[in-house]
Amino acid sequence: MSDRGRAGVFSIGLFRGLLGLVIGVVVGMGVVSLARLLSGLPAWKPEPAWVVGAVFGAAGFMLATGVLNDWWRWAKGEETSEHPQADPRLKGWAKYLSVSYDHKVIGIQYGFTSLLIFSLAGLFALTFRTELAQPGVQFLQLQDFNTLMSLHGIVMIGAILLGVGAMSNYLVPLMIGANDMAFPRLNAFAYWINVPGIVFLVSTLFLGGFDTGWTGYPPLSARAPLGMQMFFLGVYFIGLSSILGSLNVIATIVNLRARGMTYFRMPIFVWTAFATAIIGLTATQLIGLSFQLVMFERLFGMGFFEPSLGGDPILFQHLFWFYSHPAVYVFVLTGLGVISELLPVFARKPLFGYKWVALSSFGIALVGFLVWAHHMFTSGMAPYLRVPFMYSTLLVAVPTGVKFFSWVATIWEGKLSFETPMLFVLGAVSIFLLGGLSGPPNGVVSTDLHLQDTYWIVGHFHATMFGGYVFPFFAAIYYWFPKITGRMYNEKLGKLHFYLMLPAFYVQSLGQMQVGLLGMRRRIGDYDPALGIQFSHLLITIAGFVIGVSVLIAFYNLARSARWGEVAVANPWRSRSPEWQLTSPVPEHNYAEGIEVVGEPYDYGLEGSVYVNMHATPTEAPPAPPAVGQAAAAAD
Amino acid sequence: MPGRPQRALIASSHSLFGQGLLSLFRKRHADQVEVVGMAATLEEALAAIDQLDPDLVIVDYDDETLNRDEFLARFVEGEKKLRLVLLSLAAGEEALVYDRRSMAASQVDAWLEEWSATPGGATPGAPAAHSESHRRKTMKHLILAGILVILVTAALILGLDKVTLLPTAASAQALPIDSMFRLEFMVIAFLFALIVVFMLYSILVFRRKSGDATDAVHMTGNTRLEVVWTIVPLITVLTFSYLGARSLAETQRIDPKALEVEVTGSQWSWRFDYPEWGITSSELMLPVNRQAVLHLSSTDVIHSFWVPEFRVKQDALPGGEAFVRDLRVTPTQMGSFKVRCAELCGLQHAYMESPVVVVSQADFDAWIASQTGLPDDPVLRGAKWAKDFGCAACHSIDGSQGVGPTWKGLYGHQVTMEDGSVVTVDDAYIIESIRVPGARIVQGYANIMPANIGQDLSDAQIADIIQYIQSLK
Repeated sequence: MSDRGRAGVFSIGLFRGLLGLVIGVVVGMGVVSLARLLSGLPAWKPEPAWVVGAVFGAAGFMLATGVLNDWWRWAKGEETSEHPQADPRLKGWAKYLSVSYDHKVIGIQYGFTSLLIFSLAGLFALTFRTELAQPGVQFLQLQDFNTLMSLHGIVMIGAILLGVGAMSNYLVPLMIGANDMAFPRLNAFAYWINVPGIVFLVSTLFLGGFDTGWTGYPPLSARAPLGMQMFFLGVYFIGLSSILGSLNVIATIVNLRARGMTYFRMPIFVWTAFATAIIGLTATQLIGLSFQLVMFERLFGMGFFEPSLGGDPILFQHLFWFYSHPAVYVFVLTGLGVISELLPVFARKPLFGYKWVALSSFGIALVGFLVWAHHMFTSGMAPYLRVPFMYSTLLVAVPTGVKFFSWVATIWEGKLSFETPMLFVLGAVSIFLLGGLSGPPNGVVSTDLHLQDTYWIVGHFHATMFGGYVFPFFAAIYYWFPKITGRMYNEKLGKLHFYLMLPAFYVQSLGQMQVGLLGMRRRIGDYDPALGIQFSHLLITIAGFVIGVSVLIAFYNLARSARWGEVAVANPWRSRSPEWQLTSPVPEHNYAEGIEVVGEPYDYGLEGSVYVNMHATPTEAPPAPPAVGQAAAAAD
Repeated sequence: MPGRPQRALIASSHSLFGQGLLSLFRKRHADQVEVVGMAATLEEALAAIDQLDPDLVIVDYDDETLNRDEFLARFVEGEKKLRLVLLSLAAGEEALVYDRRSMAASQVDAWLEEWSATPGGATPGAPAAHSESHRRKTMKHLILAGILVILVTAALILGLDKVTLLPTAASAQALPIDSMFRLEFMVIAFLFALIVVFMLYSILVFRRKSGDATDAVHMTGNTRLEVVWTIVPLITVLTFSYLGARSLAETQRIDPKALEVEVTGSQWSWRFDYPEWGITSSELMLPVNRQAVLHLSSTDVIHSFWVPEFRVKQDALPGGEAFVRDLRVTPTQMGSFKVRCAELCGLQHAYMESPVVVVSQADFDAWIASQTGLPDDPVLRGAKWAKDFGCAACHSIDGSQGVGPTWKGLYGHQVTMEDGSVVTVDDAYIIESIRVPGARIVQGYANIMPANIGQDLSDAQIADIIQYIQSLK
């Protein structure tokens, strides 16, 4: 296509895409204005112009990056190569900023984007957390508080979805002995569609904001500023990515497992990626639908949720939570998979109850679909729904408990070592425990009447998110860092990161739960000093900043080590998993020779056992049997 | 395969049995298994065992001349690390393995495969965990950790008792909720201690020694344990759900003589109507120890009624009669509290708080009497309407900036409208602003007047409000 020397920055897919996005927005706005003019209306109306502009912008972005090229050729009846290739002239950074079909590059694109918006959302949090350090309004007006608080929520969710995508994209093919995902073009599409989604989410800051929280309940969201629509569109595109990515993960796991890799011989992480993808594929549509209905309510006056137009605001909450509850399992299951994957390696002991742990992920996924209305115990939904949903909600504790007990049994009598990834995994278990145990009080209807919409809930889900995603994600980054970069991270800085983040998080989360019990509501920019919670809020804020600093240390460590870190050996953790039997960084086509699975994945301590045969080409015939020694042939 | 081959001893008085097995071994496990001897009698076999130290003894289970029970007694319960297979052709598809597991013939195959692939000396499947000293050590660890779990649980429960976790309980509904909380916190304390103690114990005790590159015991799982820690939590959560439903029912107990109050949320104020007396108030006045049934609704978006001291919470929905939701509260403590909107409702959500005052029945009656008689001064009446209908939430009376224009000095003043026109604030303009809020909006403000305010206020009330605004110079 373009010659890099001449085309400059536009040889890079991302920049080309952003230009395409701007052009698309302008064209879309033009189309709306023209249509309005032709129907005798005033040409300019911001809301429809921006909505249609954004849809055109997303299309323009995807066209300009080139991710649709092969499909376009198919549509024209042209041949394309069996294995799609990225532009071979792109080297170094440019490769990662342009379309690639290599699952490892896409995994890193997901991961990098995730960390980027994770930092952004963290920054939003620190901003309003500073405001909350004291009662009264210090520097953040309520309107801005509401927008930042809402954006913190949704951008973090985007960051987590992308982080989950990063892990499953990079690891699943490597772990099952495949050379790529099942649908490489779809994989690239699913990554790139996130970029306009993120742009639209951030654009809400400049388009009036939105003050509904990430839950966007109507009728409030039907009245919120223009930013609301951009929020809906952003979620819509990120959700589309989630659906397509999940589809790809499922197809990959079902079809591309290496010879001998039966389902119960897959590394345990793959099981959680599988369960996650099933939820992502089947539930995400509902959040898209619920937001789309509000969007149409705003644009066309369709009264889905507006009582004065015949609608019902409760309906939205059912649609919304039908996705958004299972979504929390999308957020945490992969992280729990990382925990199960790493514990045996650092304990030198088999994963306790492999099949139970594997199936517990499916148990959680299944039960997760039956519990959504526990977010609505005080909503005014039909009262008869409360008790059954309490029963189903508490059932989640059973498969989750299986995981905890199996984890503890795995490290019991092991030979533990405590490198940074193991520290993060152990930290994750303890924090996810805190998050899990603070769940039942919200699941029991009578105590939830007090807890609903308070800071207790904030503490509870931050604990589940940190224990189920943030800590495991950092564990995964440190653990697979040598595999990705071929270099080792700095162990001292890694440990510093951990020892700052763990206690700070405990202070933050317990503090949030405490003020919630005492009467602090969620999502308020100012609070009543009479509640006597100022000191706790100050501590929470300080803890938040310590977490921020620890993450900065991690970024410094990773950036520095990627470049100057010690060169890593191929398998520093002595893992049995197939990806560690490869050189680091992983060769472009993973397993050129093909592999064969001949044993169980976690047989640590079983001498002579083999999990993967890295040279699947049939071995030569066994040597002739030697004579049997008969020392005492009494029977003869 | 590294390591010396596994050593097997075959015991049978039938030579064919031994020969057949021997040739089978040669064919299948030639380089991994060495048949070190064949014994025809029990005595011979025992002597050969002492002399040859085999890793596996295969006994012809059908051979009546061999005392199989003796074998079992010696090797299954004994200390010696030895595997014993009792092979039977008569019993059809079954073989007995040293630990009295019955295996199908095909399973024995797999078992032998695994065993023969392991270098001599190691004992797969029968790990060191089975040795007596190791078992004693494990028991010691378990008992120690168990004691620690009990101690930490006790410490946590005592600690939680010392801390003020919840605001004062000021309603009858708070009692079942709080006792549920107590139970939950106790179980949480136990489960937290259980997992964390076992984790910390492992971290402290089962550390890898530096330079130790060997693996830990090969323990892949225990179905009995997994079943236990599935069933016990299942019973626990079912119990909690049952108790939770019971305590929910207690919070919903109906008193037919309950005091009725209509509670209406609007962005961003609460209004309380007492239909029995036709009273409208901006504060919720309740008599102590009498159940009040609050009929909750909203004029705009979703709000949520929550007095932390009362515990119970219920959303207030817009949409009219079909969307009214009831909440029952029986205050048990006199004093001042606040209702705090718990559902994000827009800009001033944080400030959507109104006083709740619980008084004795006598004081309540006096309050009713004072409310039913209206003051003669229209300015005072206007001030009361402004308060009761929530005007003051947005329109300040001291000139400070609010969501709506301040009323101080408003009357007779000229203001610029959104479309640039200039209007002098007079009776007509104020009436229009209340009856048709969106008609003309002052520049810099949005129309967020409560939707029904135009119908809720009578002409006389609006006239009083105008007098009141006029008085705010």
